[in-house]
Order: sequence, then C-alpha cells, then structure tokens
Amino acid sequence: MIRQRLIDAGMTAVGLVLALFILGPILWMLDSSVQLDRDLFTVPPRVIPQQPTLDNYRYVITRTPPKSYERVTMGGRVSGEALSILPALRNSFIVASSVTAVVLAVGAVAAYTYARLQFAGRDLTYAFILTSRLIPAISVAIPVFVIIDRLGLLDSHLALIVVYVAFILPFTIWFLTQYFGYLPRDIEEAALLDGCTRFGTLRRVVVPIVAPGLAAAAAFAFMGAYSEFLYALFLTRTIAAKTAPVVLVATAINFDVSFALASAALILTIVPPIIFALVFRKFITRGMLVGFGR
Amino acid sequence: MARANSRQRLGPLILGRATARPRGRLQWYAYLSILPALCFVALFAVYPVAFSVRLATHRYVLTDPHNHPFEGLRNVAEVLGSYYFRRAGLTTLTFTASVVASVLAFGVTVSHYLNRPGRLAGFLRVAILLPWAIPVVMAGIIWKWIFNGNYGVLNALLVSLGLIPSYVSWFGNPILAPLTLVIAHVWKWGPLAAIMCLATLQAVPRDLYESAHIDGGSGWAAFRYITLPFLRPTLLILLILETVGGFVTFDLVYVMTGGGPGDATSLLSWFAYAEIFRFLDLGKGAALAFIIAAVTLGLSLVYVRLLRLEALYS
Repeated sequence: MIRQRLIDAGMTAVGLVLALFILGPILWMLDSSVQLDRDLFTVPPRVIPQQPTLDNYRYVITRTPPKSYERVTMGGRVSGEALSILPALRNSFIVASSVTAVVLAVGAVAAYTYARLQFAGRDLTYAFILTSRLIPAISVAIPVFVIIDRLGLLDSHLALIVVYVAFILPFTIWFLTQYFGYLPRDIEEAALLDGCTRFGTLRRVVVPIVAPGLAAAAAFAFMGAYSEFLYALFLTRTIAAKTAPVVLVATAINFDVSFALASAALILTIVPPIIFALVFRKFITRGMLVGFGR
Repeated sequence: MARANSRQRLGPLILGRATARPRGRLQWYAYLSILPALCFVALFAVYPVAFSVRLATHRYVLTDPHNHPFEGLRNVAEVLGSYYFRRAGLTTLTFTASVVASVLAFGVTVSHYLNRPGRLAGFLRVAILLPWAIPVVMAGIIWKWIFNGNYGVLNALLVSLGLIPSYVSWFGNPILAPLTLVIAHVWKWGPLAAIMCLATLQAVPRDLYESAHIDGGSGWAAFRYITLPFLRPTLLILLILETVGGFVTFDLVYVMTGGGPGDATSLLSWFAYAEIFRFLDLGKGAALAFIIAAVTLGLSLVYVRLLRLEALYS
C-alpha cells in the first residue's frame, strides 16, 4: 500500500518534470513578454513579474514606443526590426495558406490516382516523387536561387510558394496515398457503377470520407511552410516578402537585442500554429496513426 | 500469413497494388492527374541537381565571376581533404548520434508515460503537441534566451538549486555548446517521436499484457517481448527521420551558436552555408552539398533495406 503510494508520487513527480521541460520554455517566453528589459536583464532574472505590462505587445503592434520605454535603453536598429513582425506575419500567412491550398489540390488528385489506378510508369514516378524529398534543402540552395532569380520572382510571395510546394508536395502525396489506400473501395465502386467519372468519384464520394486525412495533410503542409527558414532567408530581401521566422531571427540573434520586445514578437508568431495544432489535434494524431501506427 | 504481415508492415514505404487497370480515357486521366505534381517536383529536383553537378565540377567563385574552367572532381577532392571538412564531419556524426539516441529514448519513455491513465498524463498528451507546433527557429530563439550566459533563466535556476556554483557560459564552452543544440533539438523533435510511439502503443491489444501478467511475466519482459516488437517499425522510421534530420541540421545552429565557439558546433550544413554565402565559393559549396546529399541518400537507402529485411523476417 505504502509502496504503491510512493510509486504514484514518484510518477507524478516525473510527470511534473516532463511538464516543466515541455512547457517551461514557452511559459518563460510568455513571462518575458510581459516584463520590461530592465527587469529581465537582472541577476537573477525576475521569474514572477513585478509589474506585468502589455507595453511590449503595444509597441510591437502599434509601432509607437509606450511611455515605459522612454528610460529603457533599446537595442537600437536590430531590436527595431521586431517592429516589422506584423507585416512579416501577414507574409507568412499568405505564403503558408497558398502552399496548403495548392499542395492539397495537386496532392490529393495525384495521391488518389496512385492509390487506385494502375498505369505504366506508376511505381517509377511515385518513387521519383518520394526520393526527390531525400535531397537535403541546403544541397539545392544555389540552383533554386538561380531558378527563382531567372523567373524574376526574388523577394516575392510567389517565390516562396513555388519552392515550398515543391518541397512539401512529396510528403503530401505519400501521406494521402497511404490514407486513400485504407479506404473501403465498395462505396467508390458503387459510385463508379452509377456512372460517376473517376474525378467525380473523388470529389463527391471520396473527399467527404477522407476529410480528416485532408485536414491532417493540410496541418502538416501549413506548419511546414510557416516554419521554413533557410529558403525564406535567402529568397527574400525586404519586408514585402520576409516571413516571420526571418524577421524574428534577425532580431533575436543580436547581442544587444531587447529581449522583452523579441519575446512579445515571438509569442505573437507561435500563437497561430499552436492554436492550429490544438484545434486539429484529433486529425493530426489520427493522421499519424495512419501514416506510422499501422 | 507471413507475406500479408510483411506487406502490412511495409505499408508506409511501398505502394500497394491498385485494383483498377484503366484503359483509354482513364489511362489519360491517370497521367493528367499526376502531371502537375511531377512538374513541380521535377523543376526543383532534376534541374537543380544537374545544375549542382555543373557547379561542383567547375570553378565558381563569385569574387572572380568570369572564370569558370572545368575542374572535374577537384572541388570534391579539396573539400574531402580539408581539415574543416573532417572537423565538421566529426562534429556532425557526434551530433547526429546524440540526437538520434536522445530522441528515440525520449519517444519510447515519454510515450509510456503518456499512455498512463490519469489527468496529468491526459494533460501532457495535449501539451506535448506545443513544441511540435512551434517553428524550429523559434525553438532555437527560446533556448538561446534560456541558455543565455549572463541573464539566462537556466543559470539562475541551477545556481539557486545549488547544482552549479556560478553562472556557466553555455555558448562559450566547446563541450556545452553542442549540448545546448542537442537539448533544443530534443525539445523540438522528441514530442513528435513520443506522439508516434504513443499511436503505436495504443494499437497494442490490451489482452496481450493481461495474459503476460497472469503468466507472471515481469514488466521488463512485457516490454521486451510485447511492446518492443510492436514499436520496432515506428522506431525504424524514426531512426531514418532523425538520422537524416540530424545530419542536415542548420536552423538551430544558425540561431543558437553560429557554428561556435570556434568551430565546435560547425555542422556540415552550416559549413556548406558558410562556404556558399560567406566565402562565395559556389563550386566548393555545391561539392559539399553533394557530399551531404550522398551521405543522407546512402543512409536512407540502407535503412529502407533494413526495413524491408525486417518486414521479411518478422
């Protein structure tokens, strides 16, 4: 009895340590974002904010320094870059949602064919699409830059959209082919017998059943495009196309950064994907179950 | 039975048999439906690779823009023979081995915890999605701030717990700096491994454990003979993902350490980046990129083979 209690207590302790490891870093950022630099740059830093303030957020969003900032030394121009986080987030959203839409449309159609139809070159093209993803991103950085430059797309949303679609599509096709492969065929066959075309079957019968799989594929695609950094770094130059990761990294890796301001910008950037992940939680885990669990 | 089983296990990697063999119009539909996907992928796979071959076999230094003699494998040889390549290669191997081991261990142990009943485990099953959802460069920024030598919260915590006597310069120490990268990497990618393992664990039939328990098997025996065989395919996939992922790690290095101190965290992809974007030597950069691609492709093929053998013999 006592032994069981001890084990339970030990397990709770393990869980709490795990929770601290997982959530601690995020909570600390949240904590930093409601303090001012003068409280953060102390030894030891203030973990419990003395006067929690939304001034960092106010500054990042309105771009006019609140009163509390008057006597705080700012990290100069580099911290100033945190102020362009809103336009950068807008770019990130435009790019990530366009990529998601294209990848889903193109990927679902191709995946359905791979899962259901037999044709010459089927295995070969499938293998080609999948292996293309094994080429590390850094390995084709120069040629991709040249392609985008020749297309006249440098520093535009379209540049990032095209590149991300090419990089994410193989995963989407693989994932959806798996997913479609698990579907019962009887319903489709009934639809085909009733005179539906293949495409019509896909649209009217299959898509509604596979909506969870599509949602998971969409979540993966969105996250992938939203997070990408390397290509965003060298395909964009101005705030017309710079995405949130690029702007934040430019701000945060400098030594004299205003950490309060950077934390506020960072929180604004990670909130959307976190909400996304929590809302799509069921689909994502179920999607993983299909992809990896069986 | 064994065949069916192997096909099922290979599921994630190979294409099942399609039933329909279309003729005429349907055949056209098949090609038409994969055409857009093929075009996208080809534009960013075939052409870049061909272009890289050209770069790697010629002299392309941007500071000398009009002089591109053919040099054969000289770039590759020079990169392979250089001290920095060997250093970066060794660092990358150590880093990759550490993250593979840590992420797999994290995945297996944490998934067991998540699979427990109770509110805390239920809460953690949701919370564990957060690091996965956060972009990797953001994770890097967060951990850089935590490990900050002067104002970092980790130093403050460790000192107040009496674990270290004074503040440690995490990024200034050639042994600790790679460790910070590994920790940040595990924080970011361990959760995905745990979620995948959890999905597998939940597919293990309960009664297997019950009968093991009745037969007087220990917890370890149950893990060894019931859990592990079920987890094996998932672990192999994770092994591939993590090896390749560790090998091409770039974002965390860029954000957290910039390759330093000295070249302590200068991984191969960072080295390639520096060669291209700092020293503007496209030829050497492309040669290096090829070496990285060859290694990751080779590793993936070895693993896929392993997976197939695994599927055939289990």
